[in-house]
Amino acid sequence: MEFTLPTLTIGATTLALITTSCSDSGASGPNLVNRKLSENENSFRLVETSAERFRYQLTPSNPSGSEGSGTSNSANQIGLTYSTPDGWTKTPGSPMRDVNLSFGTNGEGECYVARLPGMGGGLLANVNRWRQQMGASPITQAEADALPVRPLFGQPAKFISVDGKFSGMGATEGKDDYRMLGLILASEAGAVFVKMTGPRKLVEANEKNFNIFTNSLDVGP
Amino acid sequence: MANKKTQEKETSLLKVLYKFFTSFKLATVVFVLMTIVTLFGTLAQVEMGLFAAKEKYFHSVWIIDEIGNFPVFLPGGGLLMAFLFINMSLGAVVKVKKRWKGAGTLISHIGMLMLFGGAFVTWGLGTDGYMALYPGMKSDRVESYRKWQLEVMPLNDDASADEVWILPADELSSIRPRSPRSYTTDDLPFEIIVSDYSPNAIPTPITAPMAAGSAAREIDGFKLLPQQKAKEAAANIPGCYVEFKPKSGDSDNISAILSAYSFRFDPGESPMPFVFELEGQKFGALIAKKSWHIPFEVQLDEFIFDRHPGISMARNYESRVTRLETDKGAKPLEIKMNEPMRYEGYTFFQESFGPAGSQPGDRMYSQFAVANNPADQWPLWALVVTSIGLGVHFVIMLLDYMARSRKKRIQAAS
Repeated sequence: MEFTLPTLTIGATTLALITTSCSDSGASGPNLVNRKLSENENSFRLVETSAERFRYQLTPSNPSGSEGSGTSNSANQIGLTYSTPDGWTKTPGSPMRDVNLSFGTNGEGECYVARLPGMGGGLLANVNRWRQQMGASPITQAEADALPVRPLFGQPAKFISVDGKFSGMGATEGKDDYRMLGLILASEAGAVFVKMTGPRKLVEANEKNFNIFTNSLDVGP
Repeated sequence: MANKKTQEKETSLLKVLYKFFTSFKLATVVFVLMTIVTLFGTLAQVEMGLFAAKEKYFHSVWIIDEIGNFPVFLPGGGLLMAFLFINMSLGAVVKVKKRWKGAGTLISHIGMLMLFGGAFVTWGLGTDGYMALYPGMKSDRVESYRKWQLEVMPLNDDASADEVWILPADELSSIRPRSPRSYTTDDLPFEIIVSDYSPNAIPTPITAPMAAGSAAREIDGFKLLPQQKAKEAAANIPGCYVEFKPKSGDSDNISAILSAYSFRFDPGESPMPFVFELEGQKFGALIAKKSWHIPFEVQLDEFIFDRHPGISMARNYESRVTRLETDKGAKPLEIKMNEPMRYEGYTFFQESFGPAGSQPGDRMYSQFAVANNPADQWPLWALVVTSIGLGVHFVIMLLDYMARSRKKRIQAAS
């Protein structure tokens, strides 16, 4: 048994090391732990609503840009500035939309900006949700990654263009021969969605305005 | 007689184990499996991200994977390393014949065992986190990149708090859907019932299309929608449902969704707790980053940030800081890209900066990666020992060769 002592010693050491390594160093029982807060970490911001607490900006947009001016900047309470292209009109949006614009003779074209905290569900899920609204088949992650890139807030955003039968949120009937243009910028800091929909020819005629609008979007003062 | 038999049986069992663990074949099999696990783990990083792949393949005991539709079972990196450590300890250090000729290889193997030891200590005891500061700010706390905890604090009239009760990160993250857990302390007038913790979730307004189809509970116009875990674990934003059940039984439970979105994403922000009132006292509840105290304060005096001409890309950035200690006073220092500050077992690396999208002239913060690893220098010493071992081995082999050559020459001459 000359090997027993070293064997046991090394075995025990090894087991102890493995046990230490495998155990979760931060594990604790179901008790609450109390600690004092230092002056660097003891102040909080008390907000009124869950929407503010979760970083949604539900304050309605304030249209300060003169509609149809094509050159004026719009600053509003949501902290965004943008140019309203000629022929486009600011319209009341939903709480989820920071900017809502319409165009076309009867306002049948629509363009909006929405922001969500975090990745907003991610690129692929949102691209496929939009494609589904146009009756198009879903694409793969690789195809989503390969989508063309256009600038939005100085960052590379994925550009989506889909033609088809458009069934927007809550719509009972689809609208034939529609086109959807969109930009999705999803980062850890937050997700921004710019989406334009309308009859294909109208959207085609307004693609330049879409670019003017998206290029003008900036973080306001 | 019976005792002798039992002793013999024990001896033979130990012999079998000893033979198994000192076997050269075991080392070969472990090396082959390590190669396969490394390949799987490296490929998985593309889909899973670095942290998740590291946990699954290299810090695990077992791996269950799939190739096509076929399940594959493999020993995890942790188990393989433990086997190799035992094998190397017994086979290359204990069993090997101790003679001068083998001194070099023996030393080399001891060096390799030190490397293993360092890996085990780092795995079990090392911590890593970050500290982000704007110029003028100081702190003695390091925040975790990935771990979040639930905090409840009695609030003062000026929205400050003196103390906090913490539900630790490991406990919080172990709460599963539809399995609420209750927590209490004598110091708080309510019980805290936590349910449906999700490591990555978005509190979504019920007006949003993605919330419409979800069966998640609605509170104050929001539902907490779990998301797929992010590839990079630090990008996950956890959330959960909580109920505060008054111990007095006089009032109804207070329900809320807590989300890490209410914590700060910028060192200049203050966290936004869910606020409720009970027995005339305001309380706040929050999901916050796990943080830990370090034995000194770091104050950022100046953040120097140079950009490439004409573009906003960083060319160089560095921080001028003051290290503050009650008994040792203040010491000004610089932390640069490849020049970390090492002190009291902590290493401060210049990691990044923010806020994202800052323009020239904007006020910027500096972020330091703060590592505390008791085995920080072990790899260096392990390599030194291994190198010495190899050096000794080469010298011994050379001397041996020279001696044999000389002997041959003498034999040939005679």
